[in-house]
Amino acid sequence: MTLGTRIGASALSIMAALAAGEAAAQTLNVQLSSDIRSSRPGVNRDALSDMVALNVAEGLFAIGERGDIVPMLAESWTVSDDGTVYTFALREGRNFHNGAPVTANLVKQSWEAMLAAPDFNCAGFFDGSRGAAVTSIEAPDPQTVVISLAEPDAMFLKHAAQSQCGGMAVTHPDSFTADGDWDHPVGTGPFVFAEWRRGQNVTLEKFADYLPLAGEIDGFAGHKEALVETVNLVVTPDRATAVAALRGGDLDVVPYLSTAEAAELQEEEGFVVKSAPHGGMITLLMQTEDPVLSSTEMRQAVAKSLDIPQLVDVATNGLGTPNASLVPISSIYHSEVHDQGVGYAPGDVPALLDAAGYDGQELVIQTNRRNPINENVAVLAQAMLQMAGINARIEVLEWATQLDRFRSGSFQMSAFNYSNRADPVLAYSAVVDSKTDRGSAIWDEPRAIELVDETLQTPDGEARQALFDQLHELYLEQMPFVMLANNLTVSVNADYVQGYSGWNGFARLWGVSVEK
Amino acid sequence: MTRFVLSRLISAIPTLFLVSLAVFTLIRLIPGDPVSLMLGDNVDDAAYAAMSHELGLDRPIAVQFLMWLKGAFQGDLGRSITTGEAVLPLVLQRFAITAQLVLVAVGLATVLAVPLGMLAAWRQNSAFDLGVVVGATALMSIPTFWMGLMLLLFFGLNLGWLPVLGYVSPFEDFGAGALYLVMPVAALVLHECGILVRMSRASTLDVLRLDYVTHARAKGLTEGQVLRRHVFRNAFGPTWTLLGLILGNLLGGVAVVETVFTIPGLGRLIVESIYGRDYPVLQGCLLFVAVTYVVVNLIVDLCYPLFDPRVKTT
Repeated sequence: MTLGTRIGASALSIMAALAAGEAAAQTLNVQLSSDIRSSRPGVNRDALSDMVALNVAEGLFAIGERGDIVPMLAESWTVSDDGTVYTFALREGRNFHNGAPVTANLVKQSWEAMLAAPDFNCAGFFDGSRGAAVTSIEAPDPQTVVISLAEPDAMFLKHAAQSQCGGMAVTHPDSFTADGDWDHPVGTGPFVFAEWRRGQNVTLEKFADYLPLAGEIDGFAGHKEALVETVNLVVTPDRATAVAALRGGDLDVVPYLSTAEAAELQEEEGFVVKSAPHGGMITLLMQTEDPVLSSTEMRQAVAKSLDIPQLVDVATNGLGTPNASLVPISSIYHSEVHDQGVGYAPGDVPALLDAAGYDGQELVIQTNRRNPINENVAVLAQAMLQMAGINARIEVLEWATQLDRFRSGSFQMSAFNYSNRADPVLAYSAVVDSKTDRGSAIWDEPRAIELVDETLQTPDGEARQALFDQLHELYLEQMPFVMLANNLTVSVNADYVQGYSGWNGFARLWGVSVEK
Repeated sequence: MTRFVLSRLISAIPTLFLVSLAVFTLIRLIPGDPVSLMLGDNVDDAAYAAMSHELGLDRPIAVQFLMWLKGAFQGDLGRSITTGEAVLPLVLQRFAITAQLVLVAVGLATVLAVPLGMLAAWRQNSAFDLGVVVGATALMSIPTFWMGLMLLLFFGLNLGWLPVLGYVSPFEDFGAGALYLVMPVAALVLHECGILVRMSRASTLDVLRLDYVTHARAKGLTEGQVLRRHVFRNAFGPTWTLLGLILGNLLGGVAVVETVFTIPGLGRLIVESIYGRDYPVLQGCLLFVAVTYVVVNLIVDLCYPLFDPRVKTT
């Protein structure tokens, strides 16, 4: 090839690359703010890895739109009277991405492989340490799976459906290499895991043989139809670059955006900004073992100094909704009781400070700049506390450092966000525990621990509602921390993208089309 | 020559040992650890202890260091805590990407900046010289991330000539790869040009004032001959040293440019491993960067006699 021919070929190649944008209307380009950790659901995962896994693989059941558990690969199930045996009837005609039919034996193999994985994130929920132990998984016939537990566990399905557990996704043995190492997920979801170029992108392709369920999209289940041929998840760590790429058409969806950037883009034409609360929590934590904050009156004074509606409004750029309770507003358990908060009452603060014996000691609020909401909360809380006569100072830490202090309980106050929980009781579990047993526990009141334990063993219904109500009343009385709002999934997409919405903190890529 | 190279390489061993010891110790002194990050707010003490044990992070630091050092001597830098990938291939793969970017950028910057600096010195105090000095100072002063973002907004967004994000290896598709490299290379070239122009101009000015240049002119040589034969070779020495430093520095990763232009290079890997407290990857990267510095400086020293015969490598 002569030099001239080479230059000509390169020029053509450059022109082809420039024209690629026009030809790729069937491709949905989505930002990944960092690379995924692994492609195996529930193993060596983080939120982005979960997001990819949820679009590729499915479990026997999944979390529905209102936090309920709904069928997925299983058409239905029954629970034995003693609550220890779950019998799942598999849906007919479901296939893996490699064409193999979903059978009870393959489901059994998949569950067993997951439970045996040494770094399975949720092992504790199924080995008896944090939930009931799974004693056996049987496949009496090709369409029936029977899972037995050592003891009844009302949370079994909810634990298994959590994204952090990969929704106990069923994957085919072809997901492993001949040596038994994980290769890539061969699941049953609407998208096939096609390629992962580490540090660059993950490519998902439409699963042509996927049979969407009838009805509407329902959480991670329901009608999951892929409407684009390819999804290109592009690793774009820099937010400014991601927004520029969105403006330039190189990205179609930025699924996780700061509220400030979202508010800015909301004013521009050509973009659709969506904000939805999920089960995560925006909080201002207080260390109840701290000499100053061990007093309930002091903690009440802190809470009454905060104008929470204003704080949430400013901290989330008008996108958040205050919630005084750990039970999300969207939950079926968010009754009127949970609308009650401690209330903004700066007039009550001096008396409470006197009762607490407060003498102007400094309170340090830890925060980070990784999450702008945390930083905003710290800044606003400090200002409000100062106005109420409480001497507060902010300490900005790098995220890993703040997390380490959180784990060991080494803080006075901390502007901290909890990730999404599949059930309100899991939100309470995250904060309620003995501080001796768990350094990150925030609320170690024995009565609260009893109530949470009881709620964990109570199936859905009125009894559970009553327990949640009691927990909230006890929280208001003791004010071990300040619950501000549910965390938000804020996304932006180009206006030619139809049907996109994040849910529960994750990008659902089914039902999304690109109409350039 | 061989003795010189060998002695330089052998003398680098204690340096590399100290670098690895310092990196190993310092990264563990920073609060936060990979287990906390992996478990996030779901952490409980039992899970934390179990994962720490699984990753070998509950062993005494001295034991961890000796095990890592033993592996490093055998060419095994361990596995990434976050992704499980073998560190050495990962570092080499990322380095190859950074090296493409840096070598092209430094090559272009040298070709542009050195003659420009020399010409500015030759026409000292002229409007051209003033323009070059002001331009070089401005380029040096502009942070690369801002330069990158401006290029991205102008050429990528406003004009739509170049892709805003992504990376294609030029070895897979030369045309597309070149297209993706234009803006990151430009950001680096512009910044490094500023530094190199200043150095080239300053060293040329020094040489132009020497007696032998006056003598050469008195002999009747043309200005071009004077500059080429007598000024360039002598003035290029300090610039060559600076080039070695720039090259070593940039080959260690251009994290900002790689982040802005979404290039999966070594710099981004280092930043990600710091935030993720991925100890093996960070140790591997920094040891590799130290080796790169040693090698680049050795090459610079070996090439020095080509420009200045007074310098000998023996």
